[in-house]
Amino acid sequence: MSARTLLILLASLTGLAFFISLLAGEHAAARLAALFALPGHDALERELLLALRLPRVVSAAAAGALLATAGLAIQARFHNDLAEPGLIGISGGAALAAALALAARWPTLAVSIAAFGGALAALLLVSHLARDRATATLILAGVAVNALCGSLLTLLISTLPDGALRSVTFWLMGSFAGSDGRQAWLLALLAIAVTVALQRQGRFLQALQLGDRAAFYSGFNVGRNGAVTIALAALAAGVVVSQCGMVGFVGLMAPHILRRLTGLHLPTLLKLAPLAGALLTLLADLAARELLYPAELPVGVITSLAGAPFFLYLLTRKRPSHA
Amino acid sequence: MLEIRRLSLRHPAPLHDISFACAAGEVTVILGPNGAGKSTLLHAIGGYYPAAAGEILLAGEPLAGIDAARLASCRALIEQHPARPAGMRVADLLHIGVAQADPAMLAQALDLCGCQTLLARDCASLSGGELQRVHLARALHQLLTSKAAQRYLLLDEPTAALDIGAANQQLATLRQLAQRCQLGMIAVLHDVNLALRHADKVLLLKDGRQVAYGDTAQVMTQRRLEQVYDICLTELGDGHGQRAFIAS
Repeated sequence: MSARTLLILLASLTGLAFFISLLAGEHAAARLAALFALPGHDALERELLLALRLPRVVSAAAAGALLATAGLAIQARFHNDLAEPGLIGISGGAALAAALALAARWPTLAVSIAAFGGALAALLLVSHLARDRATATLILAGVAVNALCGSLLTLLISTLPDGALRSVTFWLMGSFAGSDGRQAWLLALLAIAVTVALQRQGRFLQALQLGDRAAFYSGFNVGRNGAVTIALAALAAGVVVSQCGMVGFVGLMAPHILRRLTGLHLPTLLKLAPLAGALLTLLADLAARELLYPAELPVGVITSLAGAPFFLYLLTRKRPSHA
Repeated sequence: MLEIRRLSLRHPAPLHDISFACAAGEVTVILGPNGAGKSTLLHAIGGYYPAAAGEILLAGEPLAGIDAARLASCRALIEQHPARPAGMRVADLLHIGVAQADPAMLAQALDLCGCQTLLARDCASLSGGELQRVHLARALHQLLTSKAAQRYLLLDEPTAALDIGAANQQLATLRQLAQRCQLGMIAVLHDVNLALRHADKVLLLKDGRQVAYGDTAQVMTQRRLEQVYDICLTELGDGHGQRAFIAS
């Protein structure tokens, strides 16, 4: 499929999913009237739509865009198809740092900054441990960092009072339910900024598919461009974890599906990944809301239910790395 | 002129006091036994490994002070085992390292390397020889589109994946390219007879040290090669000036 066709298709599907997600559920017709402020619409319904549903849907789309872009960038940087923020410990590091900041009652922005720091620290640790560039080492280092962060997180949670415990546990499993306008704006602006900034690394990441040395011979400062890529990926993954919890496997599934459809061309993939990620999380959030209605599932459960078998499929394929 | 002046390296393999030069349109071959430091030297000339002592001058300017983007406009390097990125089309690979794509230059590079029919192929599906040709076309596209006054092509065992006929043909093509595009070319080779036939200048290395450098005929004497490779050789001649060495 050509990149242009796929871009149009993905943009249309994401727009449609956004619209359906905004209206889905009981009183869809009333919500539709409220959305377009049609004559006779329910003012309360409109207020609820704008204050609760819209931020939730925007957060879901932006978080998906960020996770997919971060996943793609990390996979390209490490020449490793299986690298994903959740699998290689980045989300674990971000969650631990965010939980510490939440326990210390830091404000929202400070929690995001702490999560970025945690994500970056975990990423640097894992990339140092996996400097032999082997697929297995990267995944195993990620398992170790995840285990370490997970146990420290459990230790932290066990010291929390009951009320806080329930909300932190729900947050950790990933949810867009509590999104407010400020959070939605933060994620949306960050998604745009990270997407634009990573576009500028497209040619570098494409050259990197020939290896670090070949990228240098092609005219790129591998150390500097690589550091920028890693920092942007950690920022994206860290802030999503701090705001929405652990929404796993989106960063693995979206880039893989796109590579299958358009081939390995990073400048194109970087354009498509935000749309594919947004589509996946919008659908996952819709499922989380509607599957057991009126009860609600954490969105991380849905993405993991879809993503874990996908990961196992990739793991059992003959060719584990695209480099 | 690309000048290597008293170059020494510590990592990844030690090199001691190497000095030679390569001019536009000239083919220089680096020869030596396994572990002599040939590939390390080539990557040092490419700017990847920094010199511990001595310097490399590109058109009189120290290489160490040139940034990666400008270096790429002056030299391209094809590695011994060039990457075969699965899922990447040959047409996309050919644009890597090219700051300003130029369809005319790309067509010229494809024509010179015989890659026109490979454009739509996935790199993973190429044979060893096809992959070498595609990477050569990519390197030429990188150099031909640059505005640099002096351009150099560095090749690490460019005939490793080729049979004897294809290897000979490949080196003849490279030599023509060097002259037609006025490229300076430095190639690491294993086959002394290919070097004897196609090189203008030869640098002989052993244990990281320069044994000899100069015109091919003068450097590649039986005695010197026996000393470098620790082997007894027999020299053959066809009576028309063509020489070859076989192990005896």
